[in-house]
Amino acid sequence: MSLWLYFWVANLILAGLTFVLITGVVIVRGIDDLKEMFRRLTKGESERD
Amino acid sequence: MNFAPLDWAIVGIYLLLSVTVGVLARKYVGSVADYLVAGRELGTYLGIATLAATEIGTITFMYNAEFGYRYGFAAFLPALISGVVMIVVGRTGVVIARFREMKLMTVPEFFEKKYSRGLRLLTGILVAVGGILNMGVFLKIEGEFLTIVSGINIKYLVAVMTAILLLELTYTVVGGMVAVVVTDFIQYALLSVATILVSIFAVYHAGWANMVEKVAHTLGSAGFNPLENPKFGWSFLFWQILLWFSVHTCWQTTAMRMFSTRSPETSKKVMTWTGFIFLGRGMLPMIWGIAALALFGTGPLLAGSPLPVVNGHTLAPIDAMPAMLAQILGPGIKGIVVAGMLAATMSVNSSYLLGWSAVISQDIVLPLRQIMHKPQLSSRRQIFVNRLANLFVSLFLMFWGLYYTPPGAVYLYLNITGTIFLAGAFACVLGGLYWKKASTTGGYLAMILGAAGAIVPFFFFHWSENITGFAAFGLAAAGLLLGSFLKPRQLAANSAGGFP
Repeated sequence: MSLWLYFWVANLILAGLTFVLITGVVIVRGIDDLKEMFRRLTKGESERD
Repeated sequence: MNFAPLDWAIVGIYLLLSVTVGVLARKYVGSVADYLVAGRELGTYLGIATLAATEIGTITFMYNAEFGYRYGFAAFLPALISGVVMIVVGRTGVVIARFREMKLMTVPEFFEKKYSRGLRLLTGILVAVGGILNMGVFLKIEGEFLTIVSGINIKYLVAVMTAILLLELTYTVVGGMVAVVVTDFIQYALLSVATILVSIFAVYHAGWANMVEKVAHTLGSAGFNPLENPKFGWSFLFWQILLWFSVHTCWQTTAMRMFSTRSPETSKKVMTWTGFIFLGRGMLPMIWGIAALALFGTGPLLAGSPLPVVNGHTLAPIDAMPAMLAQILGPGIKGIVVAGMLAATMSVNSSYLLGWSAVISQDIVLPLRQIMHKPQLSSRRQIFVNRLANLFVSLFLMFWGLYYTPPGAVYLYLNITGTIFLAGAFACVLGGLYWKKASTTGGYLAMILGAAGAIVPFFFFHWSENITGFAAFGLAAAGLLLGSFLKPRQLAANSAGGFP
Protein backbone atom coordinates (compact mmCIF):
# COMPACT_ATOMS: atom_id res chain seq x y z
CA MET A 1 0.00 0.00 0.00
CA SER A 2 2.74 2.47 0.94
CA LEU A 3 4.60 1.84 -2.33
CA TRP A 4 1.47 2.75 -4.27
CA LEU A 5 1.00 5.85 -2.11
CA TYR A 6 4.58 7.00 -2.84
CA PHE A 7 3.98 6.34 -6.54
CA TRP A 8 0.79 8.42 -6.60
CA VAL A 9 2.33 11.23 -4.53
CA ALA A 10 5.27 11.45 -6.99
CA ASN A 11 2.79 11.60 -9.88
CA LEU A 12 0.70 14.21 -8.11
CA ILE A 13 3.73 16.44 -7.50
CA LEU A 14 4.79 16.11 -11.15
CA ALA A 15 1.24 16.84 -12.32
CA GLY A 16 0.86 19.89 -10.05
CA LEU A 17 4.24 21.41 -10.93
CA THR A 18 3.91 20.94 -14.70
CA PHE A 19 0.34 22.29 -14.57
CA VAL A 20 1.52 25.51 -12.90
CA LEU A 21 4.62 25.87 -15.09
CA ILE A 22 2.95 25.25 -18.45
CA THR A 23 0.00 27.47 -17.51
CA GLY A 24 2.37 30.36 -16.78
CA VAL A 25 4.27 29.98 -20.06
CA VAL A 26 1.09 29.52 -22.13
CA ILE A 27 -0.58 32.64 -20.69
CA VAL A 28 2.47 34.82 -21.39
CA ARG A 29 3.40 33.46 -24.84
CA GLY A 30 -0.19 32.80 -25.99
CA ILE A 31 -0.90 36.53 -26.29
CA ASP A 32 1.61 36.75 -29.17
CA ASP A 33 -0.11 33.79 -30.84
CA LEU A 34 -3.48 35.55 -30.51
CA LYS A 35 -2.13 38.74 -32.09
CA GLU A 36 -0.58 36.74 -34.95
CA MET A 37 -3.85 34.86 -35.56
CA PHE A 38 -5.82 38.10 -35.77
CA ARG A 39 -3.22 39.68 -38.06
CA ARG A 40 -3.31 36.77 -40.50
CA LEU A 41 -7.10 36.42 -40.40
CA THR A 42 -7.44 40.16 -41.10
CA LYS A 43 -5.02 39.99 -44.04
CA GLY A 44 -6.63 36.79 -45.35
CA GLU A 45 -3.34 34.86 -45.24
CA SER A 46 -4.88 31.78 -43.68
CA GLU A 47 -5.45 28.48 -45.53
CA ARG A 48 -8.89 29.05 -47.07
CA ASP A 49 -9.51 25.48 -48.13
CA MET B 1 -27.10 32.10 -0.14
CA ASN B 2 -23.35 31.35 0.06
CA PHE B 3 -22.32 34.18 -2.27
CA ALA B 4 -21.23 37.62 -1.05
CA PRO B 5 -21.76 40.76 -3.24
CA LEU B 6 -18.02 40.67 -4.09
CA ASP B 7 -18.41 37.12 -5.46
CA TRP B 8 -21.37 38.16 -7.65
CA ALA B 9 -19.38 41.16 -8.93
CA ILE B 10 -16.39 38.96 -9.93
CA VAL B 11 -18.64 36.46 -11.71
CA GLY B 12 -20.60 39.25 -13.44
CA ILE B 13 -17.45 40.99 -14.74
CA TYR B 14 -16.09 37.69 -16.08
CA LEU B 15 -19.34 36.85 -17.90
CA LEU B 16 -19.59 40.30 -19.47
CA LEU B 17 -15.95 40.22 -20.62
CA SER B 18 -16.18 36.71 -22.02
CA VAL B 19 -19.38 37.15 -24.01
CA THR B 20 -18.34 40.59 -25.33
CA VAL B 21 -14.95 39.36 -26.55
CA GLY B 22 -16.60 36.31 -28.12
CA VAL B 23 -19.18 38.34 -30.01
CA LEU B 24 -16.54 40.85 -31.20
CA ALA B 25 -14.58 37.96 -32.77
CA ARG B 26 -17.35 37.70 -35.38
CA LYS B 27 -15.62 40.21 -37.65
CA TYR B 28 -12.77 37.74 -38.30
CA VAL B 29 -15.09 35.04 -39.71
CA GLY B 30 -15.09 35.12 -43.52
CA SER B 31 -15.27 31.48 -44.62
CA VAL B 32 -16.34 28.03 -43.39
CA ALA B 33 -12.65 27.31 -42.62
CA ASP B 34 -12.53 30.45 -40.43
CA TYR B 35 -15.79 29.45 -38.73
CA LEU B 36 -14.90 25.79 -38.06
CA VAL B 37 -11.08 25.70 -37.79
CA ALA B 38 -10.13 29.38 -37.20
CA GLY B 39 -8.45 29.58 -40.62
CA ARG B 40 -5.88 26.98 -39.37
CA GLU B 41 -3.99 29.76 -37.62
CA LEU B 42 -3.37 28.33 -34.13
CA GLY B 43 0.19 28.64 -32.85
CA THR B 44 1.63 26.29 -30.21
CA TYR B 45 0.75 28.29 -27.08
CA LEU B 46 -2.71 29.32 -28.19
CA GLY B 47 -3.28 25.72 -29.31
CA ILE B 48 -2.35 24.40 -25.86
CA ALA B 49 -4.64 26.94 -24.18
CA THR B 50 -7.64 26.15 -26.35
CA LEU B 51 -7.15 22.36 -26.28
CA ALA B 52 -6.75 22.35 -22.50
CA ALA B 53 -9.72 24.70 -22.02
CA THR B 54 -11.84 22.53 -24.31
CA GLU B 55 -11.17 19.39 -22.34
CA ILE B 56 -11.29 20.92 -18.83
CA GLY B 57 -14.78 21.88 -17.73
CA THR B 58 -16.84 21.92 -14.56
CA ILE B 59 -18.06 18.52 -15.72
CA THR B 60 -14.39 17.34 -15.72
CA PHE B 61 -13.86 18.65 -12.20
CA MET B 62 -17.12 17.06 -11.03
CA TYR B 63 -16.59 13.57 -12.46
CA ASN B 64 -12.92 13.43 -11.50
CA ALA B 65 -13.70 14.60 -7.96
CA GLU B 66 -16.47 11.99 -7.79
CA PHE B 67 -13.97 9.35 -8.94
CA GLY B 68 -11.50 10.41 -6.24
CA TYR B 69 -14.28 10.37 -3.63
CA ARG B 70 -15.44 6.88 -4.61
CA TYR B 71 -12.12 5.14 -5.30
CA GLY B 72 -9.44 7.11 -3.40
CA PHE B 73 -5.89 7.31 -4.80
CA ALA B 74 -6.53 4.32 -7.10
CA ALA B 75 -8.67 6.74 -9.15
CA PHE B 76 -5.41 8.36 -10.33
CA LEU B 77 -4.91 5.50 -12.79
CA PRO B 78 -7.12 6.85 -15.66
CA ALA B 79 -5.66 10.34 -15.13
CA LEU B 80 -2.15 8.95 -15.51
CA ILE B 81 -3.15 6.94 -18.60
CA SER B 82 -4.84 9.92 -20.27
CA GLY B 83 -1.77 12.14 -19.78
CA VAL B 84 0.86 9.58 -20.77
CA VAL B 85 -1.09 8.45 -23.87
CA MET B 86 -1.48 12.08 -24.94
CA ILE B 87 2.27 12.66 -24.62
CA VAL B 88 2.95 9.51 -26.69
CA VAL B 89 0.49 10.62 -29.40
CA GLY B 90 2.11 14.07 -29.47
CA ARG B 91 5.68 12.79 -29.60
CA THR B 92 5.00 10.23 -32.33
CA GLY B 93 2.40 12.28 -34.24
CA VAL B 94 0.44 9.06 -34.82
CA VAL B 95 -2.82 9.90 -36.67
CA ILE B 96 -2.83 13.62 -35.72
CA ALA B 97 0.02 14.72 -38.02
CA ARG B 98 -1.51 12.83 -40.96
CA PHE B 99 -4.93 14.32 -40.19
CA ARG B 100 -3.47 17.83 -40.21
CA GLU B 101 -1.71 17.19 -43.53
CA MET B 102 -5.07 16.19 -45.05
CA LYS B 103 -6.60 19.59 -44.11
CA LEU B 104 -9.75 18.07 -42.63
CA MET B 105 -12.46 20.01 -40.80
CA THR B 106 -14.23 17.06 -39.13
CA VAL B 107 -13.21 13.47 -38.30
CA PRO B 108 -15.95 11.82 -40.46
CA GLU B 109 -14.60 13.78 -43.47
CA PHE B 110 -11.64 11.39 -43.36
CA PHE B 111 -14.02 8.48 -43.99
CA GLU B 112 -15.08 9.88 -47.36
CA LYS B 113 -11.46 10.48 -48.39
CA LYS B 114 -10.32 6.98 -47.40
CA TYR B 115 -13.47 4.86 -47.66
CA SER B 116 -16.78 6.15 -49.09
CA ARG B 117 -19.38 8.90 -48.77
CA GLY B 118 -21.86 6.42 -47.28
CA LEU B 119 -19.42 5.49 -44.52
CA ARG B 120 -18.84 9.19 -43.83
CA LEU B 121 -22.59 9.61 -43.39
CA LEU B 122 -22.88 6.60 -41.04
CA THR B 123 -19.86 7.79 -39.04
CA GLY B 124 -21.31 11.30 -38.89
CA ILE B 125 -24.56 9.95 -37.45
CA LEU B 126 -22.75 7.79 -34.86
CA VAL B 127 -20.37 10.63 -33.93
CA ALA B 128 -23.32 13.00 -33.47
CA VAL B 129 -25.38 10.48 -31.44
CA GLY B 130 -22.46 9.44 -29.19
CA GLY B 131 -21.17 12.99 -28.80
CA ILE B 132 -24.53 14.55 -27.99
CA LEU B 133 -25.47 11.75 -25.54
CA ASN B 134 -22.04 12.29 -23.96
CA MET B 135 -22.63 16.02 -23.61
CA GLY B 136 -26.23 15.40 -22.52
CA VAL B 137 -25.36 15.14 -18.82
CA PHE B 138 -23.10 18.22 -18.75
CA LEU B 139 -25.70 20.94 -18.16
CA LYS B 140 -27.46 19.30 -15.24
CA ILE B 141 -24.22 18.48 -13.41
CA GLU B 142 -22.81 21.96 -14.07
CA GLY B 143 -26.09 23.47 -12.86
CA GLU B 144 -25.89 21.37 -9.68
CA PHE B 145 -22.33 22.57 -9.08
CA LEU B 146 -23.29 26.23 -9.40
CA THR B 147 -26.41 25.97 -7.27
CA ILE B 148 -24.60 24.10 -4.47
CA VAL B 149 -21.53 26.40 -4.37
CA SER B 150 -23.43 29.68 -4.71
CA GLY B 151 -26.32 28.58 -2.52
CA ILE B 152 -29.00 29.26 -5.15
CA ASN B 153 -32.15 27.23 -4.36
CA ILE B 154 -32.14 23.90 -6.25
CA LYS B 155 -35.62 24.71 -7.63
CA TYR B 156 -33.89 27.21 -9.94
CA LEU B 157 -31.69 24.46 -11.46
CA VAL B 158 -33.46 24.62 -14.85
CA ALA B 159 -33.08 28.42 -14.92
CA VAL B 160 -29.34 28.10 -14.17
CA MET B 161 -28.96 25.44 -16.92
CA THR B 162 -30.76 27.67 -19.41
CA ALA B 163 -28.65 30.69 -18.50
CA ILE B 164 -25.39 28.73 -18.96
CA LEU B 165 -26.57 27.47 -22.35
CA LEU B 166 -27.73 30.86 -23.63
CA LEU B 167 -24.48 32.58 -22.65
CA GLU B 168 -22.26 30.11 -24.49
CA LEU B 169 -24.62 29.88 -27.45
CA THR B 170 -24.47 33.66 -27.91
CA TYR B 171 -20.85 33.77 -28.96
CA THR B 172 -20.47 30.23 -30.36
CA VAL B 173 -23.26 30.69 -32.91
CA VAL B 174 -22.08 34.15 -33.88
CA GLY B 175 -18.29 33.83 -33.93
CA GLY B 176 -17.62 30.09 -34.46
CA MET B 177 -14.11 28.74 -33.80
CA VAL B 178 -12.45 32.19 -33.74
CA ALA B 179 -14.75 33.27 -30.89
CA VAL B 180 -14.26 29.92 -29.15
CA VAL B 181 -10.45 30.17 -29.36
CA VAL B 182 -10.32 33.73 -28.03
CA THR B 183 -12.69 33.04 -25.15
CA ASP B 184 -10.88 29.73 -24.49
CA PHE B 185 -7.68 31.68 -23.88
CA ILE B 186 -9.29 33.91 -21.23
CA GLN B 187 -11.14 30.95 -19.78
CA TYR B 188 -7.99 28.82 -19.62
CA ALA B 189 -6.18 31.48 -17.57
CA LEU B 190 -9.10 31.78 -15.16
CA LEU B 191 -9.82 28.06 -14.78
CA SER B 192 -6.13 27.34 -14.12
CA VAL B 193 -6.02 29.89 -11.30
CA ALA B 194 -9.21 28.35 -9.87
CA THR B 195 -7.76 24.82 -10.13
CA ILE B 196 -4.60 25.78 -8.27
CA LEU B 197 -6.50 27.74 -5.59
CA VAL B 198 -8.98 24.93 -4.91
CA SER B 199 -6.21 22.32 -4.70
CA ILE B 200 -4.38 24.36 -2.04
CA PHE B 201 -7.56 25.10 -0.05
CA ALA B 202 -8.83 21.49 -0.22
CA VAL B 203 -5.61 19.88 1.06
CA TYR B 204 -5.14 22.62 3.69
CA HIS B 205 -8.65 22.19 5.12
CA ALA B 206 -8.88 18.40 4.97
CA GLY B 207 -5.26 17.74 6.02
CA TRP B 208 -3.05 15.39 3.99
CA ALA B 209 -2.68 12.83 6.83
CA ASN B 210 -6.47 12.74 7.34
CA MET B 211 -7.02 12.17 3.62
CA VAL B 212 -4.61 9.22 3.49
CA GLU B 213 -6.02 7.75 6.70
CA LYS B 214 -9.63 8.10 5.51
CA VAL B 215 -8.90 6.32 2.23
CA ALA B 216 -7.02 3.54 4.06
CA HIS B 217 -9.82 3.17 6.62
CA THR B 218 -12.77 3.14 4.19
CA LEU B 219 -11.31 1.50 1.06
CA GLY B 220 -8.30 -0.42 2.40
CA SER B 221 -5.52 -1.27 -0.04
CA ALA B 222 -8.01 -1.05 -2.95
CA GLY B 223 -7.99 2.72 -2.37
CA PHE B 224 -4.33 2.80 -3.41
CA ASN B 225 -3.73 -0.22 -5.65
CA PRO B 226 -5.95 0.00 -8.77
CA LEU B 227 -5.32 -3.63 -9.66
CA GLU B 228 -6.87 -4.72 -6.34
CA ASN B 229 -9.91 -2.49 -6.75
CA PRO B 230 -12.83 -4.57 -8.12
CA LYS B 231 -13.97 -1.60 -10.25
CA PHE B 232 -10.63 -1.45 -12.07
CA GLY B 233 -8.23 -4.35 -12.70
CA TRP B 234 -6.51 -5.37 -15.95
CA SER B 235 -9.61 -5.11 -18.20
CA PHE B 236 -10.07 -1.50 -17.08
CA LEU B 237 -6.38 -0.76 -17.67
CA PHE B 238 -6.39 -2.03 -21.28
CA TRP B 239 -9.78 -0.44 -22.08
CA GLN B 240 -8.55 2.92 -20.77
CA ILE B 241 -5.36 2.76 -22.86
CA LEU B 242 -7.40 2.04 -26.02
CA LEU B 243 -10.01 4.61 -25.11
CA TRP B 244 -7.53 7.42 -24.51
CA PHE B 245 -5.60 6.65 -27.69
CA SER B 246 -8.88 6.95 -29.58
CA VAL B 247 -9.97 10.10 -27.69
CA HIS B 248 -6.71 11.95 -28.36
CA THR B 249 -6.79 11.06 -32.06
CA CYS B 250 -10.47 10.77 -33.07
CA TRP B 251 -12.51 12.82 -30.57
CA GLN B 252 -14.11 15.56 -32.65
CA THR B 253 -13.38 18.52 -30.34
CA THR B 254 -9.75 17.48 -29.78
CA ALA B 255 -9.25 16.71 -33.48
CA MET B 256 -10.69 20.13 -34.44
CA ARG B 257 -7.87 21.75 -32.44
CA MET B 258 -5.35 19.67 -34.35
CA PHE B 259 -7.00 20.67 -37.68
CA SER B 260 -6.81 24.32 -36.57
CA THR B 261 -3.04 24.39 -35.95
CA ARG B 262 -0.63 26.08 -38.37
CA SER B 263 1.20 22.85 -39.30
CA PRO B 264 1.46 19.12 -38.47
CA GLU B 265 4.57 19.93 -36.39
CA THR B 266 2.59 22.48 -34.35
CA SER B 267 -0.17 19.91 -33.77
CA LYS B 268 2.42 17.48 -32.32
CA LYS B 269 3.82 20.12 -29.96
CA VAL B 270 0.34 21.15 -28.82
CA MET B 271 -0.61 17.53 -28.10
CA THR B 272 2.64 16.75 -26.22
CA TRP B 273 2.53 19.73 -23.86
CA THR B 274 -1.21 19.43 -23.25
CA GLY B 275 -0.48 15.84 -22.16
CA PHE B 276 1.34 17.20 -19.09
CA ILE B 277 -1.64 19.44 -18.33
CA PHE B 278 -3.88 16.36 -18.61
CA LEU B 279 -2.06 14.76 -15.68
CA GLY B 280 -3.15 17.68 -13.49
CA ARG B 281 -6.58 17.85 -15.15
CA GLY B 282 -7.33 14.41 -13.70
CA MET B 283 -5.32 14.18 -10.50
CA LEU B 284 -5.94 17.62 -8.99
CA PRO B 285 -9.77 17.35 -8.96
CA MET B 286 -9.43 13.76 -7.70
CA ILE B 287 -7.54 15.17 -4.72
CA TRP B 288 -10.49 17.53 -4.12
CA GLY B 289 -12.75 14.45 -4.06
CA ILE B 290 -10.48 12.68 -1.56
CA ALA B 291 -10.48 15.85 0.61
CA ALA B 292 -14.30 15.87 0.48
CA LEU B 293 -14.29 12.18 1.52
CA ALA B 294 -12.09 13.03 4.51
CA LEU B 295 -14.35 15.94 5.53
CA PHE B 296 -17.84 14.58 4.84
CA GLY B 297 -17.60 10.80 4.29
CA THR B 298 -19.64 9.74 7.32
CA GLY B 299 -22.90 8.45 5.78
CA PRO B 300 -24.11 4.93 4.95
CA LEU B 301 -21.99 2.88 2.55
CA LEU B 302 -22.78 2.92 -1.18
CA ALA B 303 -20.78 0.46 -3.31
CA GLY B 304 -18.00 0.39 -0.72
CA SER B 305 -17.63 4.12 0.00
CA PRO B 306 -19.58 6.23 2.55
CA LEU B 307 -22.08 8.78 1.26
CA PRO B 308 -21.26 12.41 2.09
CA VAL B 309 -23.22 14.04 4.91
CA VAL B 310 -23.23 17.85 4.95
CA ASN B 311 -25.15 19.82 7.62
CA GLY B 312 -27.25 16.72 8.35
CA HIS B 313 -28.18 16.13 4.70
CA THR B 314 -27.00 13.03 2.86
CA LEU B 315 -25.77 13.87 -0.65
CA ALA B 316 -24.73 11.92 -3.74
CA PRO B 317 -20.93 11.36 -4.03
CA ILE B 318 -20.73 13.72 -7.03
CA ASP B 319 -22.10 16.59 -4.92
CA ALA B 320 -19.51 16.23 -2.13
CA MET B 321 -16.89 18.40 -3.85
CA PRO B 322 -19.10 21.48 -4.51
CA ALA B 323 -20.50 21.18 -0.98
CA MET B 324 -16.92 21.25 0.31
CA LEU B 325 -16.11 24.36 -1.76
CA ALA B 326 -19.20 26.12 -0.41
CA GLN B 327 -17.85 25.59 3.11
CA ILE B 328 -14.08 26.13 2.80
CA LEU B 329 -13.80 29.11 0.42
CA GLY B 330 -14.17 32.64 1.75
CA PRO B 331 -15.73 35.70 0.04
CA GLY B 332 -13.77 36.86 -2.99
CA ILE B 333 -11.97 33.52 -3.37
CA LYS B 334 -15.33 31.86 -3.91
CA GLY B 335 -16.16 34.39 -6.63
CA ILE B 336 -12.81 33.76 -8.39
CA VAL B 337 -13.28 29.99 -8.18
CA VAL B 338 -16.88 30.07 -9.46
CA ALA B 339 -15.86 32.45 -12.27
CA GLY B 340 -13.07 29.96 -13.07
CA MET B 341 -15.55 27.07 -13.07
CA LEU B 342 -17.96 29.05 -15.24
CA ALA B 343 -15.06 29.74 -17.57
CA ALA B 344 -14.31 26.02 -17.68
CA THR B 345 -17.98 25.24 -18.32
CA MET B 346 -18.33 27.74 -21.14
CA SER B 347 -15.09 26.76 -22.86
CA VAL B 348 -16.02 23.09 -22.93
CA ASN B 349 -19.66 23.54 -23.86
CA SER B 350 -19.01 26.09 -26.61
CA SER B 351 -16.35 23.84 -28.18
CA TYR B 352 -18.55 20.78 -27.91
CA LEU B 353 -21.56 22.62 -29.36
CA LEU B 354 -19.40 23.72 -32.28
CA GLY B 355 -17.85 20.26 -32.67
CA TRP B 356 -21.08 18.25 -32.77
CA SER B 357 -22.97 20.81 -34.84
CA ALA B 358 -20.05 20.82 -37.33
CA VAL B 359 -20.50 17.06 -37.72
CA ILE B 360 -24.27 17.44 -38.26
CA SER B 361 -23.85 20.16 -40.89
CA GLN B 362 -20.70 18.89 -42.66
CA ASP B 363 -21.06 15.11 -42.34
CA ILE B 364 -24.80 14.49 -42.29
CA VAL B 365 -26.56 17.38 -44.06
CA LEU B 366 -23.98 18.01 -46.82
CA PRO B 367 -23.42 14.33 -47.83
CA LEU B 368 -27.21 13.77 -47.78
CA ARG B 369 -27.66 16.72 -50.16
CA GLN B 370 -24.97 15.28 -52.45
CA ILE B 371 -26.59 11.84 -52.40
CA MET B 372 -29.91 13.51 -53.34
CA HIS B 373 -28.10 15.46 -56.15
CA LYS B 374 -28.92 18.85 -54.63
CA PRO B 375 -26.65 21.81 -55.52
CA GLN B 376 -23.71 22.54 -53.20
CA LEU B 377 -24.37 25.10 -50.46
CA SER B 378 -22.51 28.41 -50.47
CA SER B 379 -20.14 29.24 -47.62
CA ARG B 380 -22.75 31.53 -46.03
CA ARG B 381 -25.45 28.84 -46.23
CA GLN B 382 -23.09 26.25 -44.70
CA ILE B 383 -22.47 28.57 -41.75
CA PHE B 384 -26.23 29.10 -41.43
CA VAL B 385 -26.86 25.32 -41.36
CA ASN B 386 -24.16 25.02 -38.72
CA ARG B 387 -25.85 27.66 -36.59
CA LEU B 388 -29.19 25.84 -36.88
CA ALA B 389 -27.46 22.60 -35.84
CA ASN B 390 -26.07 24.46 -32.80
CA LEU B 391 -29.59 25.39 -31.73
CA PHE B 392 -30.89 21.84 -32.29
CA VAL B 393 -28.08 20.33 -30.19
CA SER B 394 -28.74 22.88 -27.42
CA LEU B 395 -32.44 22.01 -27.21
CA PHE B 396 -31.62 18.31 -27.00
CA LEU B 397 -29.10 18.97 -24.22
CA MET B 398 -31.75 20.66 -22.09
CA PHE B 399 -34.17 17.76 -22.58
CA TRP B 400 -31.66 14.93 -22.01
CA GLY B 401 -30.03 16.65 -19.02
CA LEU B 402 -33.37 16.86 -17.23
CA TYR B 403 -34.59 13.40 -18.27
CA TYR B 404 -31.58 11.13 -17.78
CA THR B 405 -29.41 10.38 -14.73
CA PRO B 406 -26.34 8.11 -15.23
CA PRO B 407 -26.62 4.93 -13.14
CA GLY B 408 -23.00 4.88 -11.83
CA ALA B 409 -19.93 7.11 -11.81
CA VAL B 410 -20.35 9.88 -14.40
CA TYR B 411 -16.78 9.33 -15.67
CA LEU B 412 -17.71 5.83 -16.78
CA TYR B 413 -20.98 6.98 -18.45
CA LEU B 414 -18.98 9.53 -20.46
CA ASN B 415 -16.47 6.84 -21.43
CA ILE B 416 -19.19 4.49 -22.69
CA THR B 417 -21.10 7.11 -24.70
CA GLY B 418 -17.79 8.17 -26.28
CA THR B 419 -17.03 4.53 -27.07
CA ILE B 420 -20.22 4.36 -29.23
CA PHE B 421 -18.29 5.92 -32.09
CA LEU B 422 -14.69 5.90 -30.87
CA ALA B 423 -14.30 2.11 -31.03
CA GLY B 424 -15.23 1.91 -34.72
CA ALA B 425 -13.71 5.25 -35.69
CA PHE B 426 -10.34 4.40 -34.12
CA ALA B 427 -10.19 1.04 -35.95
CA CYS B 428 -11.18 2.68 -39.25
CA VAL B 429 -8.73 5.59 -38.87
CA LEU B 430 -5.81 3.30 -38.02
CA GLY B 431 -6.80 0.97 -40.86
CA GLY B 432 -7.31 3.81 -43.32
CA LEU B 433 -3.96 5.43 -42.54
CA TYR B 434 -1.67 2.47 -41.89
CA TRP B 435 -3.18 -0.68 -43.48
CA LYS B 436 -3.51 -0.85 -47.25
CA LYS B 437 -6.06 -3.66 -47.18
CA ALA B 438 -8.65 -1.83 -45.04
CA SER B 439 -11.83 -1.76 -47.13
CA THR B 440 -15.15 0.09 -47.05
CA THR B 441 -17.00 -3.09 -46.06
CA GLY B 442 -14.57 -3.53 -43.17
CA GLY B 443 -15.21 0.10 -42.21
CA TYR B 444 -18.99 -0.41 -42.11
CA LEU B 445 -18.63 -3.55 -39.98
CA ALA B 446 -16.21 -1.80 -37.60
CA MET B 447 -18.54 1.18 -37.06
CA ILE B 448 -21.68 -0.94 -36.64
CA LEU B 449 -20.13 -3.59 -34.37
CA GLY B 450 -18.26 -0.97 -32.31
CA ALA B 451 -21.45 1.04 -31.72
CA ALA B 452 -23.57 -2.06 -31.01
CA GLY B 453 -20.87 -3.37 -28.66
CA ALA B 454 -21.09 -0.15 -26.61
CA ILE B 455 -24.86 0.50 -26.70
CA VAL B 456 -26.46 -2.95 -26.28
CA PRO B 457 -24.49 -4.33 -23.28
CA PHE B 458 -24.49 -1.00 -21.35
CA PHE B 459 -27.97 0.44 -21.93
CA PHE B 460 -29.93 -2.84 -22.30
CA PHE B 461 -28.03 -5.58 -20.42
CA HIS B 462 -26.39 -3.27 -17.81
CA TRP B 463 -22.99 -4.98 -18.10
CA SER B 464 -20.00 -3.42 -16.35
CA GLU B 465 -18.37 -0.50 -18.18
CA ASN B 466 -14.98 -2.27 -18.37
CA ILE B 467 -16.31 -5.32 -20.18
CA THR B 468 -18.60 -3.22 -22.40
CA GLY B 469 -15.83 -0.83 -23.42
CA PHE B 470 -13.27 -3.54 -24.01
CA ALA B 471 -15.78 -5.62 -26.01
CA ALA B 472 -16.69 -2.63 -28.22
CA PHE B 473 -13.06 -2.02 -29.23
CA GLY B 474 -12.52 -5.75 -29.82
CA LEU B 475 -15.67 -6.06 -31.97
CA ALA B 476 -14.73 -2.99 -34.01
CA ALA B 477 -11.25 -4.33 -34.75
CA ALA B 478 -12.68 -7.75 -35.62
CA GLY B 479 -15.25 -6.10 -37.90
CA LEU B 480 -12.59 -4.18 -39.82
CA LEU B 481 -10.45 -7.29 -40.29
CA LEU B 482 -13.37 -9.56 -41.22
CA GLY B 483 -14.96 -7.09 -43.66
CA SER B 484 -11.64 -6.25 -45.30
CA PHE B 485 -10.86 -9.93 -45.91
CA LEU B 486 -14.42 -10.80 -47.04
CA LYS B 487 -14.61 -7.88 -49.48
CA PRO B 488 -11.11 -6.55 -50.13
CA ARG B 489 -10.33 -2.96 -51.02
CA GLN B 490 -9.96 -3.58 -54.80
CA LEU B 491 -13.55 -4.82 -55.05
CA ALA B 492 -14.82 -1.87 -53.02
CA ALA B 493 -12.80 0.68 -55.00
CA ASN B 494 -15.68 1.38 -57.40
CA SER B 495 -17.80 2.71 -54.59
CA ALA B 496 -15.12 5.06 -53.25
CA GLY B 497 -16.55 8.56 -53.26
CA GLY B 498 -20.09 7.35 -53.92
CA PHE B 499 -22.92 5.89 -51.92
CA PRO B 500 -22.46 2.09 -51.84
